[in-house]
Amino acid sequence: MIQHSEKIWFLLIGLTLVSTWLAETGHAGWPLTLTVALLIGFKGGMVIDHYMELRFAHARFRRIFFIFLGLTVFMVIFSHGWGDFLRELTTIS
Amino acid sequence: MSHSDTTVERVTTPPLYSRIPGNGGIWVGIFCVLVEFTLLFAVYFIAKVHNPEAFNSGPDKLLTTAGITITLFLLTSGYCMVKAIEAIRRDNKQVTLRWIIAAIVLGFGYPIVKIFEIRWNIANGIDGETGTFYTIYYYLTLNHLVHVGWALLGLFWVAIRTGFGIYSSKDYQGLEAAALFWHTTDVIWLIIFPLFYILR
Repeated sequence: MIQHSEKIWFLLIGLTLVSTWLAETGHAGWPLTLTVALLIGFKGGMVIDHYMELRFAHARFRRIFFIFLGLTVFMVIFSHGWGDFLRELTTIS
Repeated sequence: MSHSDTTVERVTTPPLYSRIPGNGGIWVGIFCVLVEFTLLFAVYFIAKVHNPEAFNSGPDKLLTTAGITITLFLLTSGYCMVKAIEAIRRDNKQVTLRWIIAAIVLGFGYPIVKIFEIRWNIANGIDGETGTFYTIYYYLTLNHLVHVGWALLGLFWVAIRTGFGIYSSKDYQGLEAAALFWHTTDVIWLIIFPLFYILR
């Protein structure tokens, strides 16, 4: 019988192979950006909850990781959709 | 029950899910690493919006196979550490050691692939001065490699201690701390990989 840790490993490897296909065929645009954001959030979340077992730990440790992950996912989407605004915000004139 | 009894009970009964995984010390290190990479990712996103063309075409010249192989090595090595923790919880020290050694061997796949990737990059005219995208790519990935090096040293240390029978199902804090740091490098790589090899 396949154990929980094996299932998670299979899932993570499977999603990595999906990334391979995306890397080969992906074109810049919203579908690629949202898929990448989803992959980062989901795969990262799987490692945090199932490899690190932070779902069983004090909530603060899990929260630290999900804030880190959430910020990155947000920036992937924000830099694509609102890149001009971010450029203006970070331009020293 | 008096008011003071209630207070004592509230203080002495640990809340559900109150466990600190590993030990307090490793969490200081992990927190520092997360802050460091948050800043590095901020640099990536700011550079991306200032150089959209460079970041759109940048991944095309990188060796995607290297990025995928590193991801597979790290995820499988992380899985080995999950199995090592499961084994020590059953007090099976021989099996624990075997899983840690497997994690180290797979973990070493990363620097080996990285050496081949950098050689391939240089042969194809990609170095740190090729453009903004590649400067940030080298800075972030090599920085991550340094952290993986530290994590591998940690795995070596816990392998030696496991070999001496120091860890048991009742005390495996050190082993869990090393595994947590190793998984942290996993999480960071799972962000680095799509940012440089997939996203356009």
